Amino acid sequence: MSKIGDNYTNTLISLPNPGLGLGLRSKHFNHILEHNPAVDWFEVISENFMDSGGRPRHVLRQIAERYPVVMHGVSLSIGSTDRLNKDYLTKLKLLAGEVKPLWISDHLCWTGVNSLNTHDLLPVVLNDESLKHICTRINQVQDFLERPVVFENPSTYLTFKQSTINEWDFLRYMTEETGCGLLLDVNNVYVSGFNNDFDPAHYIRQLPHDRIVQMHIAGHQHCGTHIIDTHDRQVAHDVWKLFNLAWELTRGVATLLEWDGNIPEFDVYHAELLKAKEFMSSIDGFGITGEQEIANDDVVSNPVNFLVNEVNW
Amino acid sequence: MQGMLVHHAPMQDIALPAAVEDIVNPSQRLSAVHHLDIYRHSYIARLRSCMQSQFNALAYALGPELFELFADQYLDTYPSESYTLNTLGEKFAQFLQETRPDAGREQKENWPDFMIELAGFEYALSIIFDEHTDEQPAVILHDTPDEMLKLAPVFHLFHHQYPICGYYLGVIQSTAPELPFPEESYSAVTRHNYKLGLFTIRGAQYHFLKNMQRGDSVEAAKDNLVKAFEFKRAELDKIWPEWKKGFIDAGFFVFYEPS
Ligand SMILES: [Fe+2]
Repeated sequence: MSKIGDNYTNTLISLPNPGLGLGLRSKHFNHILEHNPAVDWFEVISENFMDSGGRPRHVLRQIAERYPVVMHGVSLSIGSTDRLNKDYLTKLKLLAGEVKPLWISDHLCWTGVNSLNTHDLLPVVLNDESLKHICTRINQVQDFLERPVVFENPSTYLTFKQSTINEWDFLRYMTEETGCGLLLDVNNVYVSGFNNDFDPAHYIRQLPHDRIVQMHIAGHQHCGTHIIDTHDRQVAHDVWKLFNLAWELTRGVATLLEWDGNIPEFDVYHAELLKAKEFMSSIDGFGITGEQEIANDDVVSNPVNFLVNEVNW
Repeated sequence: MQGMLVHHAPMQDIALPAAVEDIVNPSQRLSAVHHLDIYRHSYIARLRSCMQSQFNALAYALGPELFELFADQYLDTYPSESYTLNTLGEKFAQFLQETRPDAGREQKENWPDFMIELAGFEYALSIIFDEHTDEQPAVILHDTPDEMLKLAPVFHLFHHQYPICGYYLGVIQSTAPELPFPEESYSAVTRHNYKLGLFTIRGAQYHFLKNMQRGDSVEAAKDNLVKAFEFKRAELDKIWPEWKKGFIDAGFFVFYEPS
């Protein structure tokens, strides 16, 4: 790794742990501004604010004055073969200059090629070639933003024949090559593990724990033959257990509850987050129970409805 | 993989570079095709629901099935090329125009015109909502001299062949409006404290405000209105206090501070 990469690593390992955070959603703007709830920090979806000259940006400015903020993106498309989008990166950097996030994160994925955007977090082929390609791009992004970037494991619904590297190793190599950090989405590990026949606990044990600066927890929908990452309900018990394992291995890092569909009242959302405290100390008998409630209706992965700004009256 | 996702048409219609089974692994419970289908299904459902929230009133006007049909065709024709979903519907009004069912027929139907105008209006609102500007608190008194008045920084005028603004407000306020008949209409959209204000206005008011948008002072806007429409100046001056009060109450004006 280059000298600059070493610098990113040093920056990364000295990042603070702000505690338990919530995703900032427009539905809760007024509640937060009026009541100043005792949430440790907020995660904001960068794309929701970077182009806004209206209320979303105005609210974010106020929230950033009161709470630590982390910027989480969905459009970097680090795995794509298209050129990096300079316009996007410029706006991202501008927003970061304004809200001073603790860190900036995105996903190990691609969202489209040939200038198209599927607005999904698509899985990447995991092999030597893609690793080299992605690391080169991570270096470019980090040098442009002048800070380490944190990458999240997406929930995946397929694996490629061409893949030769396990995802947990791929993520480790990324951190070693570029000094980037990791956002461990515990629910995504559970979802991907079920869908692609791997043991989620093994996945979490294999990660470079000192590079994990944040965790995500979220609810999912079990569909019998597969699981969809819906972010629209409470966290499953098995995911809490995995969280407990990850908490011990990372010795506790910033943790955020994602809730993007059927978003409840703020207090319900916050109460679900605070359950994390029950899973921070050792629990006896680790084991996945496989309890599940199976859905028959159509469910959608990575809901993005909340990414369209709601016009307020 | 993208080609298999983006086009909603059945897969056999698309020239695939290879069979799914050659690219994707099967798992214990699912075949390779099933794995890919999870992405295919989510792609269209996800973007359809974004269209739905961006075109709330249009979805109401068309009904869920027809709206879905148009949205799906639109997403196939103009797949997103942007990092942001806020511009997903940018070409929707244009698409509806291009694909209107009576295209090429001499006898035009009315309802496509209404849908096209409504789509354009809804998209415009989402842009105005996020417009960059320095919002100034607009506390302005009714007796402010005319020469001290200028238009608010976020101020847009619309002229439609259907009562679009009224219909839109009806949907938002859940009054279940009926599909309207053609009727020329004018409206103004403002933003104060980052919230939109929608107002139905009269034709003459539209032209007066349009003059102000072009840089006219209140006096000049009145003069030009009189000239263009052969109004009687005395009558305009008579109704002006009423207009002025209405415009100030609606937040159309802010203080003009000469630099
Ligand atoms: Fe996540």
